[in-house]
Amino acid sequence: MAPVLFYFFAIMTLVFAVAVVANRNPVASALSLVVSFLGLAALFVGLDAYFIAVIQVLVYAGAVMVLFLFIIMLLDLRAEERRRVNIFAFVGGGLVAVAFVAQIWMVLQRFEAGKTAFLPLPAERIDDVRNVGRILFSTHNLPFQVIGVLILVATIGVVVLSKRELK
Amino acid sequence: MISPLSLEIVVLILGIFMLLVESFSKSDDKQGLARFAIVILSALVGFSFFTTGNAGVDLSRAFYSADATALFFKRIALVTTIVVLVMALEYRTVLARFIPGVTPGAGLGEFYSLPIFTCAGLMFMASAVDFLLIFVSLELVTVSFYVLVAYMRRQSTSLEAGVKYLILGALSTGFLVYGITWIFGLTGQTNLYAISEALHTRDIARAPLLFGVMLTLVGLGFKIAAVPFQIWVPDVYQGAPTPVTAFLSVGSKAAGFVVLLRVLEPFLGLSTINTNVLTLLAILAGATLLYGNLAALPQDNLKRLFAYSSIAHAGYLLVAVASVQNSPTSFGSAGVAVGYYLVAYLLMTLLSFLVMIVVSNHSRGDDITHFNGLAKRSPFLAFGMLAAMLSLAGIPFTAGFYGKLLVFAAAIQAGKFVLVGIGVITVAAGFYYYLRVVAAMYWQEPNDDTKITLSFLSKFTIGTLTALIFIFGIFPQPIVQSLRSVPMIQTAQH
Repeated sequence: MAPVLFYFFAIMTLVFAVAVVANRNPVASALSLVVSFLGLAALFVGLDAYFIAVIQVLVYAGAVMVLFLFIIMLLDLRAEERRRVNIFAFVGGGLVAVAFVAQIWMVLQRFEAGKTAFLPLPAERIDDVRNVGRILFSTHNLPFQVIGVLILVATIGVVVLSKRELK
Repeated sequence: MISPLSLEIVVLILGIFMLLVESFSKSDDKQGLARFAIVILSALVGFSFFTTGNAGVDLSRAFYSADATALFFKRIALVTTIVVLVMALEYRTVLARFIPGVTPGAGLGEFYSLPIFTCAGLMFMASAVDFLLIFVSLELVTVSFYVLVAYMRRQSTSLEAGVKYLILGALSTGFLVYGITWIFGLTGQTNLYAISEALHTRDIARAPLLFGVMLTLVGLGFKIAAVPFQIWVPDVYQGAPTPVTAFLSVGSKAAGFVVLLRVLEPFLGLSTINTNVLTLLAILAGATLLYGNLAALPQDNLKRLFAYSSIAHAGYLLVAVASVQNSPTSFGSAGVAVGYYLVAYLLMTLLSFLVMIVVSNHSRGDDITHFNGLAKRSPFLAFGMLAAMLSLAGIPFTAGFYGKLLVFAAAIQAGKFVLVGIGVITVAAGFYYYLRVVAAMYWQEPNDDTKITLSFLSKFTIGTLTALIFIFGIFPQPIVQSLRSVPMIQTAQH
């Protein structure tokens, strides 16, 4: 990926990520998150990770965010807009964020290997989806099965916590 | 001999079976389900002694290790879940009041089944030797806790606790995954043994590696409630249903520590960064000890007191972790100290929570004043609580005392005298707040004279836990030997 494109999408991801937090209107926040996800997907494309890029758009920017928006609109959250900023939390959170960024910066300065270019991918066609699927059902099957249990638990949890009257 | 993975499989099948029975049975009384689960889980504790080990497994490519440490922590998970189910049975009337249901037993079946899945997650965590499985099983545990903490929907404190736990849990997961990403980026491996091999054979930049380890520590620090990642603990512990609080403070913590030991092992074996990591751990340990013990002093609510006490005990455990010495075959005395301390912690914490549930069922509250004159109302319960409190404070001839002894011995061996100093001071603070409960039970007049009734199951569990606290306090050798005879964590061969 050309450096120009990288910087464009990286800045887009970051600016809209900040907008998610800064916006007082929940719908605007959710929409900013969609744009931030799209920028992230573009960065994945730049790394030749097409499958993850597609999943990022389909699952996160698509399904999850649409669900988010629906819920926000149905709930009609107005309280968030009236909420005052807590100065202490704002300064504290800001300090932690600044310290964290400074630390990443320092680490990257000392990280020689980070400056080398990626090895080019082999010329023949690489079948992303097929490879991911194959790994999930062969060598990485155990964690995959545990994820299945996790989703079962999450489903039960949603039912138990959201059903109006349990029977 | 049975394959070790079959333990988890049976637990999972049990959980799914309970959910099926719950949804198809006509009866409103769900207690049979929990009793059935208790029987099966107890049988599994027995079966865990007949499992085949790691023979023929190449650990540097495996996700799952069945070494002695893993089995030890699997038993801790199973026993914790059993006692939590006993508590859940005792707690069912309170729970029913705060669940919006049309039938009397609504939602209770799920409340008995969810801990089974949590237990499976804890057992996977005990065995996980690959960051992928560590992450996935950790999430299984955390997600089931999100649900369990917020379970009493009609009580706003429970919901608040659920939301707080969800947000901070997600944040900590973010840190953990970011740390894992850095480590993966540097070594190209997610398996801990393969990481260890890569660290020793390749030249890996020091600063980014330390950064990755630090982020992982932050993520795990949230799970074990170490300062400064403890902010969520008091509110979540107080708001959650009491059996869930007990489960959180024992199960989640034990699994967090086994993962911490496993994750740290490859990095502590690397001479270029191990002093930095150990210093970091020592600072965490000192801060956790001081904060947990001092903040517990003014607490009047027993659940909140236990929240701070749980932070304090994480501090003692961290002292042991910070005293890990890098020996080629084993983690040495520090590993033994962590293992023994967790067993003692399990016994005394579960015992005190069980007594607390019974008492607050009758007194309708869990402040220390609700324990006034408990010795007159029910000498049996008061004695159980007394044993738990003495052990938590670390009085000789209890399991808690021997645990602290092992921790401090390991710290002295490693030359961490400052930590020992802080430890001794904080133990003195611990005497004050634990013995306040004892004083209320034995020297105050009771608020009401109603007799406290106990189910046989609870009576049996309280009796067993009380007896074990003294037995392990006076004869600690069986556990220490079983921990010492095998290397705590098997280091990769180089």
